[in-house]
Amino acid sequence: MRFVDEFRDAELGRALAAEILSAVEPGRHYKVMEVCGGHTHSIYKYGIDGLLPANVELVHGPGCPVCVIPMGRVDDGIAIAEQPGVLFTCFGDMLRVPGSHGTLLDAKARGADIRMVYSPLDALRIARANPDREVVFFAIGFETTAPSTALTLQRAKAEGLTNFSCMCNHVTIVPPVRALLESPDLRLDGFIGPGHVCTVVGARPFRFIPADYGRPVVISGFEPLDLLQSVQMILAQLADGRCEVENQYKRVVPDDGNLRALEAMADAFELRPHFEWRGLGFISQSALKLSERYADFDAELRFAVPGVRVADPKACQCGEVLKGVIKPWECKVFGTACTPERPIGTCMVSPEGACAAYYNYGRFAREREVV
Amino acid sequence: MRSNDPDLAPTCFADAAEGCITCGDQGVPVRVLSADETTALAVCADASGATEQIATELVGPVAPGDVLLVHAKVALAHLDAEEAAL
Repeated sequence: MRFVDEFRDAELGRALAAEILSAVEPGRHYKVMEVCGGHTHSIYKYGIDGLLPANVELVHGPGCPVCVIPMGRVDDGIAIAEQPGVLFTCFGDMLRVPGSHGTLLDAKARGADIRMVYSPLDALRIARANPDREVVFFAIGFETTAPSTALTLQRAKAEGLTNFSCMCNHVTIVPPVRALLESPDLRLDGFIGPGHVCTVVGARPFRFIPADYGRPVVISGFEPLDLLQSVQMILAQLADGRCEVENQYKRVVPDDGNLRALEAMADAFELRPHFEWRGLGFISQSALKLSERYADFDAELRFAVPGVRVADPKACQCGEVLKGVIKPWECKVFGTACTPERPIGTCMVSPEGACAAYYNYGRFAREREVV
Repeated sequence: MRSNDPDLAPTCFADAAEGCITCGDQGVPVRVLSADETTALAVCADASGATEQIATELVGPVAPGDVLLVHAKVALAHLDAEEAAL
């Protein structure tokens, strides 16, 4: 397919890998964080890390929307799902994220009507088809997903649907990146910016990284050549002593983002004063809730929710993995007590999670190295 | 992309190897087969040929042959052929 096949060309990939090799200073260790979970997945799937010189390290960031959901929010979702008459909808990966008393899948097994959808628009369709049921959509995701929820809410309002509501867990990417840059644990040389978030918000919101923290950012696509070229562009900035936001993904990302999507989000959402991130704690103005205009569609106002904060399981080190402080395989329970089939931590649930991505692909390469 | 009926759709965690277009913040390119401006819906095909109905309000008018970036059945961007040159 156009826009896909040409970005998987092995010959060009080898040429880029050679360029990267020639650009690194021997003896210098480079740490580059890919913010987005989609990038983490592509890096392991295509073996990008194996094409890089040993002194270029990719550090996995907090950009998997499933991985950052704290247990308390899962408990709140289950509490709504188990109320009489509720038909609860959410994306597939959320079904397996453990709360303090099991997952949404466990609640479904106990009899709650929980259905997986691929879009909030599917939840809306279910609401139209089931006027006698309360249909709730559990919304998660960064700025890539928030516009689809906003559009759905606008349609629900225009249609006057009264049996549809949304439990909003949308988060924004800039505050956790700023929190990471403030963290003394981590020394990073540059960032691979989240291409599809930037499709919506544009390149501008990331200018604070070079301006305030002196680190280069390259907004990247998700195909193997996109990622290799983005690493090469970051290394070139470092070699030239430049520090700016560059856009490798111009075929998709305009500098201003998608204004229609931003308007829809501004209509449907407002910033929460603070929100808890798994592993990162409470971060100010880092998440969205439904705006006053959509209060009638707010599931947290329509239903009683416990709203209790739940500490993560002690054995789980998702927090350190999300901050890039440890690699997935350095977690004590990785691949033993915690697997994609029976995850303890959220990073093992979603394919975008660093632990699951590494478990599915990277461990084989590592096993070869060890042997 | 999957079946239009969520009740029949396979669970996405079953295909962990391919990732999930909705759970992660990742979009997929699709080609427009037909578009209806009144409803702001377009029938689109992904790389495997699977078709899906896509909401197009957020990208404005679309025409058959256009390539769109789609996330959670909502189009977020037109892909630009000139900028895609390697």
